[in-house]
Amino acid sequence: MKKNFRMVLALSIAVMLLLPGCGSGKSADKAFVPKYDKDTEFSLTVAGSYGNFESLEAEFERFYEYYPNASLQYVTMDDYNNVISSALVGSEPPDIFTTNSAMIGNEKYDTMFEACEVLSDSSLDIDYSCIRDSLIRTTDSGDVLMLPIFTTSYGMLVNMDIFEKEGLKVPTNYKELVSVCEKLKSAGYESPMMGADKFSGSGLFNCFAYPMFAYNVIQNSDKVDALNNFEPGSGELMRPALERLDEFIKSDAIDIAKCQEEITDEYDQVIMRFFEGDVPMMFATGDVVSGTAKRESKSDVFTANPFKYRFFTVPAGDDGGYFINSISICFSVNKNSGNLDMANEFMRFLITKKELNNMAGLKRLITPTDDFSSDERYSALADVPDKRSFSDKETGLLDPAVRQFRAAIYAVGNGKMTVDEAIASYGNIPEE
Amino acid sequence: MKRSLIITINLLIMGFILFFIIRYANTMAKESNRNGIIAFEKMTVTTNQIIANYLEDEQHLCDIWANYINRSAEAGTPMTAEEAISFVGKTRIFPEVVAHLIFLDSPERTGISTTAKVSAPDDYTVSYKNINIFDNIDSESSSGEVVHLTRAYTNPMNGVQSIAFLNHVTVLDKESGMQKDGLLMRVVPLSRLEQKLVFLKGEYENVEISIVDKEGNYVVHGKSFKNSNFFEYFKSYNTTSSEEYGNVINEIAGGTGTMTIKNYKGEDCVLSYTPLETMTTWFLLAYIPAKDLVANRSIDWLLLGITSLGFIALLIFNSTVMMTYNRKLSEAAQQANQANEAKSYFLSTMSHDIRTPMNAILGLNEMVLRDSKDDSIRMYSESIRSAGSTLLGIINDILDFSKIEAGKMEIINVDYSVASLLNDLVNMVQQKAEEKGLAFDLDIDRNIPTTLCGDEIRIKQVITNILSNAVKYTKEGSVTFSVHTHKPEDNPDRVILRVSVADTGIGIKPEDIDKLFVAFERIEEKKNRNIEGTGLGMAITQRFLDMMGSHLEVESEYGKGSVFSFELEQKVVKWDPIGDFEEAFRRSLNERANYREKFTAPDARVLVVDDTAINLTVFVNLLKRTELQIDTAGSGDEGIALFTQNHYDVIFLDHMMPEKDGIETLKEMKGIADTSNRETPIICLTANAISGMREMYTNAGFDDYLTKPIDAERLEMTLLQYLPKDKVTVVSDNNTAPDQELPDFLNSLTELDLDSGLSYCGDAEDYIETLKMYSGSAQKKAEEIEKYWAEKDIKNTTIKVHALKSASRSIGALELGELAARLEEAGKNGDLDTLDKELEELLSRYRQLANDLEPLNKKEE
Repeated sequence: MKKNFRMVLALSIAVMLLLPGCGSGKSADKAFVPKYDKDTEFSLTVAGSYGNFESLEAEFERFYEYYPNASLQYVTMDDYNNVISSALVGSEPPDIFTTNSAMIGNEKYDTMFEACEVLSDSSLDIDYSCIRDSLIRTTDSGDVLMLPIFTTSYGMLVNMDIFEKEGLKVPTNYKELVSVCEKLKSAGYESPMMGADKFSGSGLFNCFAYPMFAYNVIQNSDKVDALNNFEPGSGELMRPALERLDEFIKSDAIDIAKCQEEITDEYDQVIMRFFEGDVPMMFATGDVVSGTAKRESKSDVFTANPFKYRFFTVPAGDDGGYFINSISICFSVNKNSGNLDMANEFMRFLITKKELNNMAGLKRLITPTDDFSSDERYSALADVPDKRSFSDKETGLLDPAVRQFRAAIYAVGNGKMTVDEAIASYGNIPEE
Repeated sequence: MKRSLIITINLLIMGFILFFIIRYANTMAKESNRNGIIAFEKMTVTTNQIIANYLEDEQHLCDIWANYINRSAEAGTPMTAEEAISFVGKTRIFPEVVAHLIFLDSPERTGISTTAKVSAPDDYTVSYKNINIFDNIDSESSSGEVVHLTRAYTNPMNGVQSIAFLNHVTVLDKESGMQKDGLLMRVVPLSRLEQKLVFLKGEYENVEISIVDKEGNYVVHGKSFKNSNFFEYFKSYNTTSSEEYGNVINEIAGGTGTMTIKNYKGEDCVLSYTPLETMTTWFLLAYIPAKDLVANRSIDWLLLGITSLGFIALLIFNSTVMMTYNRKLSEAAQQANQANEAKSYFLSTMSHDIRTPMNAILGLNEMVLRDSKDDSIRMYSESIRSAGSTLLGIINDILDFSKIEAGKMEIINVDYSVASLLNDLVNMVQQKAEEKGLAFDLDIDRNIPTTLCGDEIRIKQVITNILSNAVKYTKEGSVTFSVHTHKPEDNPDRVILRVSVADTGIGIKPEDIDKLFVAFERIEEKKNRNIEGTGLGMAITQRFLDMMGSHLEVESEYGKGSVFSFELEQKVVKWDPIGDFEEAFRRSLNERANYREKFTAPDARVLVVDDTAINLTVFVNLLKRTELQIDTAGSGDEGIALFTQNHYDVIFLDHMMPEKDGIETLKEMKGIADTSNRETPIICLTANAISGMREMYTNAGFDDYLTKPIDAERLEMTLLQYLPKDKVTVVSDNNTAPDQELPDFLNSLTELDLDSGLSYCGDAEDYIETLKMYSGSAQKKAEEIEKYWAEKDIKNTTIKVHALKSASRSIGALELGELAARLEEAGKNGDLDTLDKELEELLSRYRQLANDLEPLNKKEE
């Protein structure tokens, strides 16, 4: 399975390079026309790991306009990753379920993927051309078993009011970043940038360095296998990102100790601290941004003094930031569903630019479509040149390699290793 | 009432009814909603009981398993985990219900399951490492609760949403040979619990049941509840202050109740909550969209709509019917108006057409009265005059009443002489009172101003009516006519006349007083049938007084008499007091002579124009003794011809004439320049006695007007006013000396009142002739009376006595006349006793008087 997916990834990259982007050349979003009698009565269950999925439930409501007698339900499944395979063959299998790119190549999910409907089957008439090609995952045979619903990225939340107040522009390259941080520091902001000092992907070091590293990997794709296989010396490819991180840490742009003290988790605390209103830039992933909507009202400070904020790539490179687009979740259809036709019909309804943008807007995650304008908070992503915009699958990195990189930056960022030590230890760096 | 007003009122009433319906419907809907919510809350409690029972049952089954396993351990033969699970697997009834045995000493919270993982049929290992359902796995099932239950979670073995009932068991660790604790979980698919709630779907289609713990975390998650925590969900979609939020948490934790919340769509929803029985820290939440509980208003609106349409239909129908009726009413009103116009025309015609022959009748009757020497003829003629006068009065009353009813009667104020008014009134009534033997007393205030301004005609009519009634309804005693004045406090230019007429007549019962003023209503009709009248007099009187701002006051004692009085405010024109009117009147009364011409004017010439020949004859005869030269013309043109040929001192023109009426004739005469009659007064003769005529005729150019039937005295007075004084010789009263011509022996006859006789007969000559006739026919008439009486022919006896009464009165035998009148009345009333007692005396005195008068016949012989 693992090999299969490696092949798939390679093919996908090729396809991605061959096919034009999900842009103007794609077919226009067509209005959804129900395939079945609108009075059809049916129930569908969508299973996922989200504790709640309001943006999906909003789509249920929209779907009811076409099928008023439908009844759709979202079920949160405990220990989702371990349970989904059993659930699909259990007595109460979901009709649609969430998947993610991390499942690809993992044998644990073989039975799960075996239960997936082939969404690229033309008879289903699911037009996923609105989705950026780089986000489409296919099997060896080119079948599409999962379609991205949300994507995420690594970047930073910017308090636009502070920049406006201080007369500053959001930095577009590393030099500007350092300069802006100095000005902000002198303006009284103790730590112009903050973030969660955590090992996870949402950690501040990952947000800063991973996109740059991924870019380097793409630029040196011939070394990907060595990285994935932890071959000696392969860690050298981490050097540009590690050195830039080290340089950044040592600048006045960020006070790591302050971050450790004031931000104790990588999600809620990140958002709530940002809403305090005194942090010009906060490292965050798209998943963190998605949690801002509900927490605005929970923050007394933000409620009292609301401000504008937007999501930007971190300008870690000399030429600017890197927009690495990762799939957050995908939807797959259980081909053994008792209501397979209607499950596919719902997917046909959902996989349109309009509905996907609606969902992403509600969830405050990055839409998988090519239209970033639907959510102002992510609109800056459209300004990132194509050259520095890429999908995580393009890196060809496997999860163990990614985790080693994450361990390296965590160690360097926290002063536990030097850059050289981390490079030398690649493959054996202790993980959290 | 205008149609728009009717429609507006209708719409208002409809609006009120609709408003009431809406209010009522709303009240009922609110009541229904309240009841619905109460019922929903009861359903929640019932559901709670069902769930509690179910949970207890499931827990009980779990406990049975655990007890069996634990009893083995207690007996010293503990089961291994595999044996325990095997035992449980064998005893379970429902295949979907499974058991998990978790080892408490396992950091991964692993254990074994009765069923293998569906995705790995050989794998019975179960792990709860990544399923956060235990607060503290060591203390789970150790609390004092009856039921030890997890939240809904995903069964890691089959991915089915489930709940698990817990109990602790002790099993044998094969490796160590020691006993160890484990947590036995009876894992039940959530769908089994949901099946218990199917009964709700019939009544509450969209109800959702959730179970939350005291922190609000869902144990069982209703699909409409978003978030993973109910309180978080509540806060996300309901704008509340932190205090209100705290209250909500306390309320739900505090017991059973119901609240309204917003769901994620912003819709109102009803949430009933109650602590889950057997699980004091868990709460049952029953959620339903409020619209599902709210009474279906569409029925109310439908009712309202139908009611509204019904009202509108009713309004249109009523309006249509009303319009139809209105059209008919309008037509009827038009017909009524035409009928009224016809009536007015009829009355006007009647006025003219009846009064015109009446003029002839009364005028010629006057001639008869003057010229006839025959007692009987004079007597009959007198009756004609009396009846004619009554008839005229009735006609006048009917005309007046018609005018009042038609709203055409107007009060026309003119300056008038109070003395003249009183004089006319007293003249009019005095004679009638005396004829009935009533004393007519006057009580006239000396200080009444000489000239007042008011509607003299109507005032006179009012007082005449009252006085006439007093005389009519008084058999004996007196009638007292009083007029007094006083000044109103607020108006120095006016006086208030208080006119009062008191009589000693029959009086009126208190209950009959109101009938006085009802038209055509006569009090005690039967008793008073012999008293002439239409029943209009008092009604007209009251109406006139109303129009003049006054009202009639009546004080009466039945059988003793009545006092009619009123007050009338009049503008004073001349403040000079009238002085002692009573004395002046007595003097004039004494000086009054029998009729004789007031003047002679042989050199004066008058022209009278009337299309009715008999009227011309009456007119000429009435003035015969004045020796006037009278030219008559039968038409307007004929009159104009005479007008141009001769000089006239006065011209009388009839108004209503064919071809050229009086007014047209007058205008033509006035238009003739070459005439000696330019200054000649022209007086209108008219049968039209309706009020306001004076103004009409004077405005038309007449100098004056006289109403027909022509009153001889008024005619002569008018002529005296308008004839040149040099052509008139006023006849002196001294020119006649009737006493000198009467034989002396008559003065000795006590039975006779010579003055009265002379007054009635006119002069001595006529009187003597009348006495002769009376005497000559006495024997015969007395015998006739005796004959009828002997035959008990009461009717003819009465008629003859009546004739005797009139004859006796006409010669001045007043007492004899009075006795005859009494017997006539007795005859009419069938009072035979009185006749029997007094008829002989009557005849005796009659014969005696005839005998006493016999010398007159002899003297002639």
